[in-house]
Formats: sequence, structure tokens, C-alpha cells
Amino acid sequence: MDQKNSELWEKILAEIQTEVSTANFLTLFKGTSLISFEDGVATIAAPSSMIIDLLQKRFYEMIQQIFNKYSRSSAKIIFVPRTVVLNSIDTGPLFSTPEKPKSIGHLPRVRRDYTFQTMAVSSSNQLAFVSASRVAEKLGESYNPLFIYGPVGVGKTHLMQAIANKVYEDDPNSKILYITSEEFTNEVVEAIRTNDTARMKRRFRNVSLLLIDDIQFIAGKDRVQEELFHTFNILVDNGAQIVLSSDRPPTEIQKIEKRLLSRFAGGLTVDIETPDFELRCAILLIKTKKFSFDLSMETAKAIAEKTEDTRELEGMLLRIITESTTRNAVPSPELVLQVLGTEDEKSASFHPDEIIKNTCSFYGVKETHLKSPKRDARLVRARQICMYLLKKELDLTFVEIGNLLGGRDHTTIMHGVEKIERMISEKKPKEDILGITQGILRKSLDN
Amino acid sequence: MKADVLTDNLKKGLSIAFRAISTRSQLPVLLNFLLEAKNGFIYISATDLEIGITTKAPAKIEQEGATTVPAKTFLDLISSINEEKTTLSLSGSQLILSGKHLKTSFPTISAEEFPKILNEKGKKIALIKTKEALGALSRVVFAASQDMGRPALSGVLMKREGEGLILVATDGYRLSLRKNFMPLFKEGDIEGLIVPSRILRELVGFGEDSEEYDFYVSKETNQVVFSTKDVVLVGRLIEAEYPDYKKILPEDFETKAVFDRSDAQNAVKACSVFAREAANIIRVAVGKNKVVFSSSASSVGENEIDVEAVVEGEENEIAFNSRYLLDFLSSIDDQEIDFRMMGPLNPGVFRSPKDKDYLHIIMPIRIQG
Repeated sequence: MDQKNSELWEKILAEIQTEVSTANFLTLFKGTSLISFEDGVATIAAPSSMIIDLLQKRFYEMIQQIFNKYSRSSAKIIFVPRTVVLNSIDTGPLFSTPEKPKSIGHLPRVRRDYTFQTMAVSSSNQLAFVSASRVAEKLGESYNPLFIYGPVGVGKTHLMQAIANKVYEDDPNSKILYITSEEFTNEVVEAIRTNDTARMKRRFRNVSLLLIDDIQFIAGKDRVQEELFHTFNILVDNGAQIVLSSDRPPTEIQKIEKRLLSRFAGGLTVDIETPDFELRCAILLIKTKKFSFDLSMETAKAIAEKTEDTRELEGMLLRIITESTTRNAVPSPELVLQVLGTEDEKSASFHPDEIIKNTCSFYGVKETHLKSPKRDARLVRARQICMYLLKKELDLTFVEIGNLLGGRDHTTIMHGVEKIERMISEKKPKEDILGITQGILRKSLDN
Repeated sequence: MKADVLTDNLKKGLSIAFRAISTRSQLPVLLNFLLEAKNGFIYISATDLEIGITTKAPAKIEQEGATTVPAKTFLDLISSINEEKTTLSLSGSQLILSGKHLKTSFPTISAEEFPKILNEKGKKIALIKTKEALGALSRVVFAASQDMGRPALSGVLMKREGEGLILVATDGYRLSLRKNFMPLFKEGDIEGLIVPSRILRELVGFGEDSEEYDFYVSKETNQVVFSTKDVVLVGRLIEAEYPDYKKILPEDFETKAVFDRSDAQNAVKACSVFAREAANIIRVAVGKNKVVFSSSASSVGENEIDVEAVVEGEENEIAFNSRYLLDFLSSIDDQEIDFRMMGPLNPGVFRSPKDKDYLHIIMPIRIQG
């Protein structure tokens, strides 16, 4: 039924409605439609032959007349028994749920947004990305196991979950198990405790894709390693795919049985490096899209300069987004500096002289006195706080600090810093330190 | 029109045809029986435009003719009179029904007004043995949707699978499936028909009046016809895409419990008293060697009933709508029920150990705690 016909029929029905009783209209005309109109023949579908009989007997002439008026023709009308189902209809929860319970049953704790599409790729993670996509396409055929390692926050988990999501998307019936090595350990322990290892074995060994995150944590757990070893062998025999991640290469994981390590390394081992600056910018831009937020390239760069860890990157981005929405300001590199810039400005503006100057004005002592050998109680406290700040904020060496404070011995400085460190849990010195640093900050902001 | 007929025969015919009458029909003529006197029979027809039934009662015809009379009053009267034989005759626009001691007249609507129940049967594709059919159909049909807004679900899927037919009905919350339904196949094939559940429900309602039915399908008229010697039941095929039922048939289970059907039915009935007040929720907890049905309504009270069971697998808990449980438990008469489940969120599966080809699935209700 094309658009033109349905519009025409709608007009005709509107007129028919004014001609016939409501009962007749609802019973006989409601389910009709014009399915074709060509060569002077209009074919009208009605739900049943009984309805057609009544339409023909009672309303044929009226329908024909109105039809010809609107179509400006002298058409012949024929009826066919057919129900035209307009659009696909709701089939109820029984049919819509398989996706849901399965995603709960099959992909627990796999984030839906961790897909290959949302992963930014650059030279630091390209090899890992490509091998992961190969693995997702051909389970158990390409590299088995795939061992991904790299430092914190480089996207190991993202990549693993992307594999799980891709396999699930291609075939929601495939059995996928994503688990952290801690959970794996817990399940093994629980199974041993309840003496029900059969169920655990069934759970782990009936999958077509097993992903274990942070595998390094099974180090030193012999029984867990043994279980993993057998699971590993059975899965590989069954042609199932295994993907592991760790913070270091297999060869550097301590306290893991040799036979297991050699299996870890038996497939492909790829590493992900800390993301470079460009990749961090790309990651930011992808993440902002997820929050449907607009971020300029300049702003992204400003944020990317702040950290190397992608997880921290996301946290910073969130702060920027919250700040810019609450302040109702467009995110800009300036905003980034204002929100995230504190650490940077701190180190920039905390010139040793500033610290000394501020400590003196805070305690109301003279700078010359501070650097002199005088040992009044008030002076000593101010001096030690000053040592502490110079050490903590600027990370100067003890010798350097000693030189700044009137040529004192480095052991004196060590003693002073240690003393404040011990006292730092108390209220008073803490407040003092805060007061001094804030004073410096305020000044630098006023400028 | 003038005809003599045995009251009992007329009564039987009328009560069969009455099943096609829908009180919701808005056209007056659809609330009438069509009576046609010809060929030694009085033919009685009724339709709601969705399905149509024609049946016949042997009669002595003195004058052929046809008319329509209000179905409800006519049937009520015939059911309550005590005459062995009655005479039907038309006088003007009145139908006169007379017996030895009785004279009744009914207003009529011209037979011309009555929609013709199409007799073009199309291909005879199968012969169905009533006895087997009733059991299988009554286990399936009740699960179909009554909502005409969802055409596909308002029907029962009949599809050739292997040697027999597979019957499937669902309303989106539960599903009934029966494999190896074995009619005697004739011409043609059944590659996926959606037959209105309404027509099958009526077929079940006829009971074992007749030993077998002929099953016709006409693609030209888009009709299905079930006919016996005396009755013709006509309906239209539903043209829609049937949802993919295969993908929701669970393969695995964690818990299996076998228990007595009537015990369970009684338990659910008792729980329904409270469940009625609480969104019809009945909890089903499978324990070590029992199944506990429970319901609670905060202001009314709560109830818990144990049913002995043979349990395999883990202990588990799930919640169902009591109406669906009752519908299922009363649809079959086998002694035992085999219930399987996989967590509280996946559909529960019910089988009968006696009827391996049967399967019923109910969507659970999510509950907290």
C-alpha cells in the first residue's frame, strides 16, 4: 500500500463516515484499505469474506461513487480478503526480554559502551586493537590466548569488553564469560568450600569466550592456578577463545606455575603503552560525545596536557563538564586552567622565596631572623614549617633547603621536616600550613 | 418459509451456531441467526464477521425460504419449551414458532441483510481426529492473545515440522507449544498458517460431537474452514509475521521440580485470594523436596502452601502472575507437572512428563528481595 493510495483512501473513508451509521462504519470500513489502483480497477482489502459480502451488497454503489469523485476516474471496485498489518507490533515482554536476561546472564559487568567503535586508536595501542578485533571476528582461530598487558588506565579492560560486546552482538546466543581474576578466585574458593566443583566446572568450561581481567592477581594461589590450568586446556581443546589481561607481561608475573605461564604466552602477547598526547585528545573527544557535550579541540588539548592516565582523564573531563554546566560557561582552555590548573599554578608560583616570605608574614617574624641562628620557640616552629613546605611543595633537597635557610646543616632540615610530619595529624600545624599556602595562592590569583 | 423440525435438533444446532455470535457486534443483523429452510434441512448460521458457523437440523420443509431472528431470545425460548416438535413459518415480517400448546412470534430482519458465509472451502489439507485434537488444542489455544490489536498473537501458529504439525500460541507473556500434532495430511502443505485462536477455541468448545474434522485452507479467499458432516466453521487466516518463538525456548535450567498438578492448582488457587490484592503476584520457591507457593497482600494477609516435589539442582525462587499459573494448571489434566527454571528473571518452563511434546513458558514477574 503506497503513500498515495493510503492518502486517497483516507479521504474517501472520511466522506464515507459522514454517509453511513457509526456502527456500519466501525464494523465494515474500519479494517479496509486500498491496496492498488491501476488500469481502472481499485482493489480494496477487507478483513473477511463476510465483511466483503456486506460491503458489496449494501455499499458498492456508494463506495464507487465516492471513489470516482476523489480519484477523478470511473473505476471498478473489487474486494479482496486481506488484513493489512501496518507496522510491526509489540510482541510483549516474552519476546523482548531475551536480550535483557541474556545480557544479565551472559555479559555481567560488561559495559555496553566499551566497544571497538568507542576506542581511540593510535600507535600506542594499535597492535592490541587490531589483534583484539581479529580475535572477536574469529573466536579461537587467530590467537589463543590473547594476552594484553599494560599499565593502569591504558584501556585493557575497554579492549577486553569490546571483544565480549562484539561477539555478543554478532551472536547473542554465544556463551561469553567476562570475569576478573578476583572473582574467578572467589568462585573457585566457594566451590571448594561447598564441595560443589562440578557446577563451577560446568560454568567455566561451557563457554566459547572466556575473558579474565587482571590475571596477575592469581599469583601465589595454587589451587586457583590448577583450576585455571585445566579450564584453559579444555577450552583450547574445544576451540574456545581465551583473553587475558595483566599489568605486566607473562614472563614477569611472579609465583605462577611454569606450565600456566607457558600457556599464557602460547598465543599472542600484546602490550598497550601509555597513551600519547594525540591519543589522549582523541579519547577526550570520544568521551565527550558519549555525554553529548561539545568540546573544542583546544580545550581537549588543555585537558590532555594534564595527565597520562586515561581514567584520570575521564575524571577531569567530568569535572570540566560539571563546572561548565553549573557555571553555564562554554568549556575553554581557560576554564580548564581554572578548574584543573591548581596543581600547575601551585608549583609555578611556589617559588622558594615566596614560601619563606609567606611563612614569615604568617607567623609575624622577620625573614632575617628566620635565616639567623636564633632559636626562639616561635622562630623554630616557623622555620620547621618552612622546611616542611619547601620539601613537600618543591621537593628540594635537604642541602638546598639548608642553604636557603641561612646555611643550615642538612640533618637539621631532615629533623625539622620529620618533626612536622609527625605533628601533621594535629590540628594546629595543619591549619598553619593551609593558611600559608592559601596566602601564596591568593596572591598569585590577584596578579 | 414453512418447516417442521424436532425441537431437540433445532436446539442443538442453535447452541452450536450461537458460539459465533458476539455481543459486541454493533450491527443488529449480526445479533441474529440466519435460518434457511431448504433441501430437507433448516440451516442455521451466525457470524461476527470474524468467524462464521453454519450448522443444520433435519426438517420437513413445506415451503423453502430464509429469514433472520434475534439469536439470544430465539435460543432462550427454544431451550425452555417443552414441545417435541415445532413449526417455523414466516408471516409478513414475523417469524412464527408454533407447537401443540405454543405460539410465539419474533421480529425478523431480511435474510438479504445477512453476510454470506462463504462456502468456498479451498484445498482440503488435513483430516483431524477430534479426540487427539481436543487435548492438544486446549493446551495451546488459551495462551493466545485476545487482543485484536496484535493480530499475529491473536492467532495460533500451525506449521509443518517433521511428520506432524507444531502448534504455538503466545500473548507475549506466556507461550504454549505442542509438537507432533498429527492430522492425516491430504493435499497441500501447512507451511505456517496463523489461525485465529477464536475459531480453535470454538472448535474445542464443540467437544467430541463429531469424530473428525476436515481442515481446509483457501489462499484465494484467505480462509480456513473446519467442517464435519453437520457443522461448518469458517474463519479468516491472519496475515502477519509470527514472532520467532524458537529463540525464547530455554535450553538450560538450574532447577527442576516435579510435583502433582492438582496439588499445585489448589495451592495457586488459595494463594490467588491474596495475590488478587497484590498485582496477582505468587512466589514460587523451590526447596529441597518441596515447592512453596506463597502470596501476600499487606492489608489483607499472607499465605504459604507447600507442595511435595522431587527436586533436582539448586534451590531457587521465582514469581509469576497467578492468572497465568492457573490458566496453565487448569488447561491440562495430566497428573504431574515438570517445572524448570533458570534464575528469577528467565521464563519458567512447564512440561508434562506424560506429554513429551508439550511445553508451556511463563514470563516471571520481577520482584524485589
